[in-house]
Amino acid sequence: MLRVKAGDVDRMGLLFERHHRKLYSFLYHMLGRADTSEDLVQNVFYRMLKYRHTYTGEGEFRTWMYHLARNVLADHIKKNRHATHHADVQDFAEKIGGGTRADETLQREQEVATLHKALGRLSADNREVLILSRFQELKYEEIARVMNTTEGAVKVRVHRALNELKTIYLRIEN
Amino acid sequence: MDMHCEQAQPQLLEYLNNELPAAEQARVQAHLAHCPDCQEELLALRQVWHTLGTTPEPEPSENLRPAFYSMLAAYKEEVEAAPTFSLAGFWQKCRALLAPGPALRLAYGLGLLVVGLAAGYWLNNGPKTAPATADQQQLAALTTQVEQMRQVMLLSLIENPSATERLRAVSYTKDLSGPNDKVIDALLSTLNHDENVNVRLATLEALAALAQEPKVRLGLVQALKHQDSPLVQSALADVMVQLQERRSVQPLRRLLNQPGLNQAVKSKIEESLQHLSNGRPAAPSTSEPYHETDYSPQPDSAAGTTV
Repeated sequence: MLRVKAGDVDRMGLLFERHHRKLYSFLYHMLGRADTSEDLVQNVFYRMLKYRHTYTGEGEFRTWMYHLARNVLADHIKKNRHATHHADVQDFAEKIGGGTRADETLQREQEVATLHKALGRLSADNREVLILSRFQELKYEEIARVMNTTEGAVKVRVHRALNELKTIYLRIEN
Repeated sequence: MDMHCEQAQPQLLEYLNNELPAAEQARVQAHLAHCPDCQEELLALRQVWHTLGTTPEPEPSENLRPAFYSMLAAYKEEVEAAPTFSLAGFWQKCRALLAPGPALRLAYGLGLLVVGLAAGYWLNNGPKTAPATADQQQLAALTTQVEQMRQVMLLSLIENPSATERLRAVSYTKDLSGPNDKVIDALLSTLNHDENVNVRLATLEALAALAQEPKVRLGLVQALKHQDSPLVQSALADVMVQLQERRSVQPLRRLLNQPGLNQAVKSKIEESLQHLSNGRPAAPSTSEPYHETDYSPQPDSAAGTTV
């Protein structure tokens, strides 16, 4: 990224190849909409180009990326306050759950699908920390930097979010 | 037994992921060993956490990559086309300029000093010598060019089917410092052949101003026999008196003998002939519209011989 900052804009392609899947996954899990998530991925990379001078080189690139992604996401949600979120989480859940497989795999897939349904019902804040820590595999310290908070606060929030998820999950299961 | 459930539970996830310091890890383990509630809690958490981890990653569509690269290309073009328009780009340039080390800064400083001295030297010495004459030469060249352009304009406009345009062409003769033969020929031809009386009158006026040229004088004398419009005839007679052109006496007399000549023109010519033989300019009469033009007397070499 430092080379992009120095004017070597073509290097952005490398960063795109390396990170766009994770970024897409984050946005997708947050929004539950495939097309919108792709638009926002584009948006995040555009902001990287536009605001590349703000990248200090301290900390990891992906911390900065998720920081920008959160801003893009917040802007998007502000703009589309009335639009329905998580419209196709259901689709995603069904996509994972569908198909004729061996019973064991089928059961596992259904578990995942149910969990996703539960995830969709979490509050955005709780969903976010879980996605960042579990799907994006960010360390607590990194999440703290992305969210401008302390590592301790992140730990508490992840714990709380996981508990909430568990509760919702069990409620759906039964 | 020193750990309670309230203390243990927030640490279960970290315990699960082996993220606790060794001592804490051991304490949670010790608590779990005799607390079935927390064991159950741990199992549930593990299941949820594990299931979350096995979630297949969603795949972006095939459109994402080409969309990104076209955005990148567009951005590059934008930045290259108008680098100063972007505030970020401008700021970056500033930073790039400020960034260099002390050696480069010193070089910048010295460079600026040299430029300043050179500019000062040039400003002090320059305008007095070479550049001034060069400027004058350039100005002279430009003036000649403008003159040539006017001539070309005049010669092309005077052929124009619109009388207004022809009038404008005639008016250009005022701006010409020294009309050449081509222009004079064109004007005389217009005076004799233009179908529009107003154009002929304007041309006569323009030619009268050029009467110091022998060619123009002769042309004006010869033009007398071509004119059939009473307005032009009397105006021309006036010019002849003004110029004290003796050579016009013969053509004027001939004109006088023409049958069907306008009565006003007839008396006008008679008057003019009288003035020409007396050697006095005719006083322009104000009663008739075509006398509006007041011809300034030209420095005249021929006049002296005639009186």
